[in-house]
Amino acid sequence: MVSTLFLTATALPEVGPAGVIIKAVLILAVIAAIAGFGTYIERKILAFMQRRLGPQHVGPFGLLQLAADGIKLFTKEDIIPQHANKFIFAIAPVITAATAFIALAAVPVFPDFTIPFIDVFVPSIAADINVGILFVLGMMAAGLYGPLLAGMAQGNKWGIIGSARTAIQFLSYEVVTGLSILAPIMMVGSLSFVNFNDYQTDGLWLVAYQPVAFVLFLIAGFAETNRTPFDLLEHEAEVISGYVTEYSGMRWGLFFIGEYANMITIGVIASVVFLGGYNDFWIFPGWLMIIGKIAFSFFFMLWVRAAWPHVRPDQLMWLCWKVLMPLAVVNVVITGLVIML
Amino acid sequence: MSLEQFKDRNVGTQNYVKLDLDHSPTTGWCQFKQVVKRTFKPELFVGLWVTFREMINALFRGKMHTTQYPFEKLPISPRYRAIHDMLRLMESGNYRCIGCGLCEKICISDCISMETKYDENQRKEVSEYTINFGRCIFCGYCAEVCPELAIVHGGRYETASEQRASFSLFEDMLTPIDQLNLQQEYAGFGAISPNADENIKSTPLAY
Amino acid sequence: MSEVQIVDNMVDITIDGVEYKAKEGEYILNAARANDVFIPAICYLTRCSPTLACRICLVEVDGKQVYACNSKVKAGMNITVDTPDILTERRAMMEVYDVNHPLQCGVCDQSGECELQNYTLELQVDSQSYSIPDTKRETANWSSVLHYDPGLCIVCERCTTVCKDMIGDAAITTAKRGGEALDKSWKDNMPKDAYAMWNKLQKSVIAPSNGTGSTDCSDCGECIAVCPVGALVSRDFVYTSNAWDLKRIPAVSAHSSDGFAIYYETKPAGIEDRTEKIFRVTNEWNFVSLDGAARFAYDFENDTASKDETAFNAGVEALTKAETIRFNSLISNEEALMLQTLKEKKGVKLYNPEVRPFQKFLKLYNEASGASLYNGSTDTALKCDFAVSVGGALRNDSPGLKYAFNNIQKMNKGAGLYFHPVGDKLIPTFGKSVECFTHKVGLEEATLYLLLELFADKDKLPSDTKEYLASFGENELLELLGADAEAFMKAFPKMMKKKENFVLMVGEDYYGHAKAENLVKLIVLLEATAGFQVVMNPPKSNALGVALICELDDEATGYTVGYNENGDFKLSALGDGDLDMPAMNQQEGTFTTLSKRVVPTNAALDYNGYVLNDLMAKLIDAPSQTIDWTAYLPQEKGYQAMDFDDMLNTFDNAGQDNRGYLLKVTYDEVEPTDAEKFDKDDVLDGDIVYRANPPRQFNDFSDKAHQIFEAFGLYASEERAKALGEKAEILFKNGKITVDVIVDAKMEGDIVALSDFKSAENVYELFGESRYQTVTIRKG
Repeated sequence: MVSTLFLTATALPEVGPAGVIIKAVLILAVIAAIAGFGTYIERKILAFMQRRLGPQHVGPFGLLQLAADGIKLFTKEDIIPQHANKFIFAIAPVITAATAFIALAAVPVFPDFTIPFIDVFVPSIAADINVGILFVLGMMAAGLYGPLLAGMAQGNKWGIIGSARTAIQFLSYEVVTGLSILAPIMMVGSLSFVNFNDYQTDGLWLVAYQPVAFVLFLIAGFAETNRTPFDLLEHEAEVISGYVTEYSGMRWGLFFIGEYANMITIGVIASVVFLGGYNDFWIFPGWLMIIGKIAFSFFFMLWVRAAWPHVRPDQLMWLCWKVLMPLAVVNVVITGLVIML
Repeated sequence: MSLEQFKDRNVGTQNYVKLDLDHSPTTGWCQFKQVVKRTFKPELFVGLWVTFREMINALFRGKMHTTQYPFEKLPISPRYRAIHDMLRLMESGNYRCIGCGLCEKICISDCISMETKYDENQRKEVSEYTINFGRCIFCGYCAEVCPELAIVHGGRYETASEQRASFSLFEDMLTPIDQLNLQQEYAGFGAISPNADENIKSTPLAY
Repeated sequence: MSEVQIVDNMVDITIDGVEYKAKEGEYILNAARANDVFIPAICYLTRCSPTLACRICLVEVDGKQVYACNSKVKAGMNITVDTPDILTERRAMMEVYDVNHPLQCGVCDQSGECELQNYTLELQVDSQSYSIPDTKRETANWSSVLHYDPGLCIVCERCTTVCKDMIGDAAITTAKRGGEALDKSWKDNMPKDAYAMWNKLQKSVIAPSNGTGSTDCSDCGECIAVCPVGALVSRDFVYTSNAWDLKRIPAVSAHSSDGFAIYYETKPAGIEDRTEKIFRVTNEWNFVSLDGAARFAYDFENDTASKDETAFNAGVEALTKAETIRFNSLISNEEALMLQTLKEKKGVKLYNPEVRPFQKFLKLYNEASGASLYNGSTDTALKCDFAVSVGGALRNDSPGLKYAFNNIQKMNKGAGLYFHPVGDKLIPTFGKSVECFTHKVGLEEATLYLLLELFADKDKLPSDTKEYLASFGENELLELLGADAEAFMKAFPKMMKKKENFVLMVGEDYYGHAKAENLVKLIVLLEATAGFQVVMNPPKSNALGVALICELDDEATGYTVGYNENGDFKLSALGDGDLDMPAMNQQEGTFTTLSKRVVPTNAALDYNGYVLNDLMAKLIDAPSQTIDWTAYLPQEKGYQAMDFDDMLNTFDNAGQDNRGYLLKVTYDEVEPTDAEKFDKDDVLDGDIVYRANPPRQFNDFSDKAHQIFEAFGLYASEERAKALGEKAEILFKNGKITVDVIVDAKMEGDIVALSDFKSAENVYELFGESRYQTVTIRKG
């Protein structure tokens, strides 16, 4: 069983470069596909919640809509505006996608397994570093460069506004993410995702100890991934499309993939850190549990989008600095006090 | 279809519900109270519940609202004024248009034109008839003025096409001869009023 | 030799309590119309005799009911248009007219301008009291242009009346239709005038008067114009358009010299082709009657023209090096003035064989009489009671004068003399007091001497002429002219009874006559001693304008530019030349009519090419528009400095022609001189060909029109045609031509008529100035 493999991590075979490369390619391929599939899921879920049918003409239940969109994105003309900074404009989407996938390198995705016959061991985490959480958060924070540079490079007023919003929103909520996750880190005493998982194997899920941290992390996660109700970066009613205004075709698609990869990352972090990770639960095996948890996180983001309205930029800032950040600090202090005592 | 709801123009006496909205907080204390109230009042969860409930309704209780246009179409009012139809006589299948030119004359956007000629049966024959739908404003005067109930407004509201001419020729608007039994009398503009008989004076007949 | 003055005596009348002035002896209806008072009437036509078919014009005069159309105005009359009784009668009549009238206004050609519709509404007929079984009446085509639907006919007899009283053809008449007889009970149960009208209506229908299914007439289409309902329609127009769709453009007929006022009625040609097309020609039928060319020859426009710069430059070059410009009379006054200006500035010759003899004749007349122009007109001729026509084939040359000649017989209880070498079967039917003289070619002077003999106040004649006239034996002149002298002398006093106004219609034969000078002298003597007013018929279109405006030359030399004529470079409105010009329905300008009126015509159709004025702008100092020339027409010839846009184009309610202006005619006192003697043996013998067009044909443009079917050819009486066979070769002194022989059933005698309307055939060159030539005719 997968979980037993994790439990006996020390007895694992050596992680070779081939395994890591295979893992990286797997993550890229699967997450990119899931990200794409996520768009289909999002459209379906939103449609159902509005009593619509959503995409349903391409393939059975509209499943091939994803392929159709892909073909469309790939074949669309790649427009680079005349007065854009062409180099930065071109790499900005790559930064977004790349940082999103790099972050996934330190996150456990799928259990470990060994490819038969050639005997190559593929680890669950491509890079099992002991500062995994820090790395992921840092990488997601670096993802800020994508929207920021994209908006500034395109020579478009809406893009500039989008960039500005990126800067303030991402930087502000970085604080909340960090502080909110600090309390569980203090409890576990490690930055490794594996240790978090192990910490919750026998006891309650961390969310039971740290409900406030969980809520704060979720809220900050919405902001970090640019999801409703905090999708101010590209809020079309205000700034056309914000930092992606001038993008088209696959470059635009890369932003999209990045966003969905980030959603998955947040889902993974939330699941592993707060929701018991990939431990077995009752009769459900660990791998099912983790997939279910990630899926629920994903669904929750869509659900929220269907139900709740946007906030204004000033409300966003007010919420961050006047409510969430003090709460997070208080939570850390209280957690510290409890641990000390 | 009853038109009662359209005829009631007595706006203002219906039972409107006035929402009792909260007033904006004025002091810091009020603001704090509002935040607390909103935080612990499950307003946000009500929202989540509503959308979730609708999803369940839509998926499992047959309350999906989508009309799958263009495969499904909603019925339209008989008074709707879409692309014109030219009707035929039910008995003979001849078209009703006699080429009197009244529609051409009354058309306020001057978009109807026709060519007529003396045919071999010594009758006036409409040899060409066209409506310029680039100009037509669908006012319905042509249907109203037509003495033969020949030109009426049909229900074809899908007016996107590669060519405008796809709609505008006589043959396109005419009821296909093999669908004569499906031809429907028009109840909108220009149709005979229900009390038409009362307004007609009798004329002596020598036969 | 003075202006024609016919003074009307004006009296006071009262209509509905308002006082008006009216001409004494005028019908009440006309007097009311002249004063803008409306009296309903359907069957009455101004200038024709009242038929009393409709009886709707019933009015009350001093307490008695009379018909306004046939009761004459007397001083102090008190007329009431509507009384309750009369309104009842009128309403009953309109109801009767509506009985069995097909409810097909939707398709009817007259709908929108239908008098039955109008009066049914005017008299507020909203219910029907009468009924009778209908009889089936079949539609019929009477001729190449006439279409009759008896079902729609209300037998108002306007068509038969106008055909008889104005046109003179009398080709249609009322006939029995075999309708159901009226129930006698109606007689007691309805107003009596309505009953009488119904009784007649139920029995009658209109039919060709020759008893066959087709009319034997000149196809002028005037019956179509006067028809108040859709019963008579031109075959070409039937069911093609509604009256309200057509745009009316006031214009002048370009064909005969009468300058008939017409309306071109246009609308876009069809759905595919949105350019304007003329659908028909209409007229103010109460005041002007058209001939077939004016009504049906309208689609002669030059529709292929474009701004071809190469051709234009070639045209400029051609005109620069031209020695002669050859043209005809189908040209506006403005264009004539352009050519004259070109002549003055560049010394180019103007050659116009159509008009040149007429111009010379006018000059001779001017010298002999002291008048700048003849004193009569069609309008004044219509008021005469004795008409004499000399030197013209009235039926072919001049529809307007033919109508006047006929109308004088019918309306003014007039008499007429018709002198012409070509016998005509129609003219004698105009009236009982019409005498025709079919004389030998060359005896034209004898004709005028006979007129002096018959009409002149002998004491006023110069002594030599008086003596010469006395030298003829009793009836010698009459016999010389081929008349039954005794019978004529018996009839003549009756013809002369109560005659006051005499008109002499001079035709084209005289203009190119070898003895033209003497003819002019005799005409002047007739004017001076017999009180004749004289009308000269300008040969075709705007011949009078060209004669007055241009100084024409006798021959063409060197490089010739032809305007609608043959030439080294051809300007043509027919679309077949080197440079396109606008046809007469595509340009504005003025015409000078037979009645000495300068009338404006308007462009009915688009024209995309260059006009003559563009050429002038390159060659001489020309204003920007053709009509800018209008005000510069030569005032010494009687024209006025009036701008085109200031000209009216209307008739008033009394029928007064207000179009444009009348040429000013000056009269100098000149003592009439003696006429010369004539040689009665100087006559043409053998086969004689006469240059004359069939009725409705005047020029290439009338020929181009699709409703004119008269072909180019040799027209002959039935007997002569039989002898000639199908084709004939005619050998002139200076050439020959082979043409089809066509029967003209109304011609008599052996003289044949060769058409000249095709300029390409160059018939004028074959004939020279005289209209008669002795030729050899062979079977072709």
